[in-house]
Amino acid sequence: MNDFFAMGGYAGFVWPAYGITFAVVILNIWLALRALRVAKLEARRRLAVNEDSR
Amino acid sequence: MNWTWFHRLGSPPHIYRLAGGLLPWFAWPATLVISAGLYAGLVLAPPDYQQGDGFRIIYVHAPSAWLSLMIYTLMASAAAIGLIWRIKVAHAAAAAAAPIGAWFTAVALITGMLWGKPMWGTYWEWDPRLTAELLLLFLYLGYMGLRSAIEDLQRADRSSAVLAIVGVVNVPIIRYSVEWWNSLHQAPSVMKLGRASMPASMLTPLLMMLLGFTLLFGVLMLLRLRAEILRRERSASWLRDVLAQSIRQ
Repeated sequence: MNDFFAMGGYAGFVWPAYGITFAVVILNIWLALRALRVAKLEARRRLAVNEDSR
Repeated sequence: MNWTWFHRLGSPPHIYRLAGGLLPWFAWPATLVISAGLYAGLVLAPPDYQQGDGFRIIYVHAPSAWLSLMIYTLMASAAAIGLIWRIKVAHAAAAAAAPIGAWFTAVALITGMLWGKPMWGTYWEWDPRLTAELLLLFLYLGYMGLRSAIEDLQRADRSSAVLAIVGVVNVPIIRYSVEWWNSLHQAPSVMKLGRASMPASMLTPLLMMLLGFTLLFGVLMLLRLRAEILRRERSASWLRDVLAQSIRQ
């Protein structure tokens, strides 16, 4: 198991590369979900304004 | 011939619903394929005879670099379609793709630097491929910056589309840079004139990660495309239906 984490001496390069990639993937999923949530909120607000002005 | 399917491709409500329906078909396979690819790449694949375990960075670096080029090509094509046929959904697709492409270009650059340090002895070299990939990041950022600088959405769509289309010349430069110039960057492992230069035990995890990242891009793209379509729709009756549905969900 320790051999696995040591990565043949390349641990200092392999794990940061995987860690950064993983972090960016999670961040992108969160950003995309947030973009959709914000777009829905704004659309709802727009509809409400349109209905009030009628 | 029945062309209704073609016209529906340009219809925002149809694409919005289609994107929602397609989401699970990308999300689950992406999760499974990436998990399996990680296990195969980190555990099952043997160490490289020259690069030892350091070569395993390829399993996150190459898929990110592939996405950076694929997404740019898709973005420029969508922008061109939007510009030529004035299709709103195409502009929305281009705008949705840009931030995803920028993020994966950054990942390709950073993981490449982490690979370069132990193998080349330096994090960065002004090598043709590295320089062109950095330019790709600036193209994405320029495209996004131009969009956010122009208030009027239609003008933003048209101006940014021109930038995206002009920038597409950079894509083949990156793709073929290692063949055109005597580059520091190693030659491609997968698509070298029909024959891969890797044994199956190393190549299979790479193909899995390439597929997994492409599916992951699909997930991100569908979510962001839905958001872009909503942003562009003003007081349409279908918008009311969609929002009523999402409350109940």
